[in-house]
Amino acid sequence: MSLLNNWKIHLIALVLVIISEMIGMKKIPVGPGVLLFLPMLYAMILGGVISWPKMKVITTGEMKHATAVLSLLTLLLVTKLGVIIGPSLAKLAEAGFALSIQELGHFFGTVVLGLPIAIALGLGRESVGATFSIDREPNIAIIAEKYGLDSAEGRGVMAVYICGTVFGAIWVGLIAGFLAALQIFHPYALAMGSGVGSGSMMAAATGAIVAVFPDQKDEILMYAGASNLLTTMVGIYFCLFVSLPITNYLYKVLTPILAPKRVRDGGISK
Amino acid sequence: MNWIENIAVFVVAGALAVVAAIVGFKIPVMDAVIGSAILVVITLIGILVARIMPGNLPMVFWVSIIAILSTTSISPFAATVTKYTAKIDFLAICTVVLSYAGLTVGKDLDMFKKMSWRIIVVALAVYTGTFLCATLVAEIMLHLEGII
Repeated sequence: MSLLNNWKIHLIALVLVIISEMIGMKKIPVGPGVLLFLPMLYAMILGGVISWPKMKVITTGEMKHATAVLSLLTLLLVTKLGVIIGPSLAKLAEAGFALSIQELGHFFGTVVLGLPIAIALGLGRESVGATFSIDREPNIAIIAEKYGLDSAEGRGVMAVYICGTVFGAIWVGLIAGFLAALQIFHPYALAMGSGVGSGSMMAAATGAIVAVFPDQKDEILMYAGASNLLTTMVGIYFCLFVSLPITNYLYKVLTPILAPKRVRDGGISK
Repeated sequence: MNWIENIAVFVVAGALAVVAAIVGFKIPVMDAVIGSAILVVITLIGILVARIMPGNLPMVFWVSIIAILSTTSISPFAATVTKYTAKIDFLAICTVVLSYAGLTVGKDLDMFKKMSWRIIVVALAVYTGTFLCATLVAEIMLHLEGII
């Protein structure tokens, strides 16, 4: 049984949990905002260091097991958010329209900010794969089917996927905490924004917002949970039928304007 | 993974969540154990339902539905589930999940090191963009709807 063969992973996870929770939350003021360091951040970073191949603590096989465990465990977060939503389902329904519309922000946000930057940096067709979505597993499947993973688009989606694994949660957690501490957005809006469609990124962002607004914890978790569920459910179809065609169209329009000269002349683009 | 392994993984994770709740949130041991056990059972029921229901909807959907139903007014256990699951803080579960997330990083590090700085900038923009745009739209919509 794979659990017994990979006991080391679980033992290390136990140690990480104990150490991280003992350190507790730390706040470092930066300009008008705050950089928030939560136990989950230490756990992620310490885990990352331990998993470094040069450390030779855990094998690739054990890391694969950890990946399988991780995809199951995000369901535990989903359950926790679900039991919070239950009693206030009516309240959530009141915000149903706002919740649905903000999903457009999730789906187009990656393109709006990412695509112009990718094109300007000279990434060519990789830009499309990299920015059409948040590039988690379901999105990789879309690109794999349409272009194949050895295409430029496939390289783009895989590169952002790997960045997501390595620092996605850390980054999203830090910017969410920073923005929350600035107090320019309402905690409910930030909560909805957290539902980006990746379990660990959603957890990091939501955790940071809760830490800044502890009084509104249940509402924040409720909106974040509902938003994340919507992003996950609608995401696959939206990315396939709307985001990808639009990203392709914008790529054609923006490349002549933004791409560095060598790319425009060189034919990296189609 | 087969059923027994699924259950074993969740039992281990549930135990880690108990540890996180005790160490980080000073929750009494029994409360934490009951709360965590309830969360694990609901999750497993959700996974089971996802497997037997037609339509091939993702597990996230069914687990959410079962979890939401368990605390709505139609559930006879709503009060108990709410009371005990509240003992396991969301952040405690996050610490457990991200411990495992950290332990998966190593397998991608070699590929990560070969990547150009450009794609890293793009990835940061992608994550910032999706979070920021959704937050912005939510802020506007919640104001228009008069909710905030």
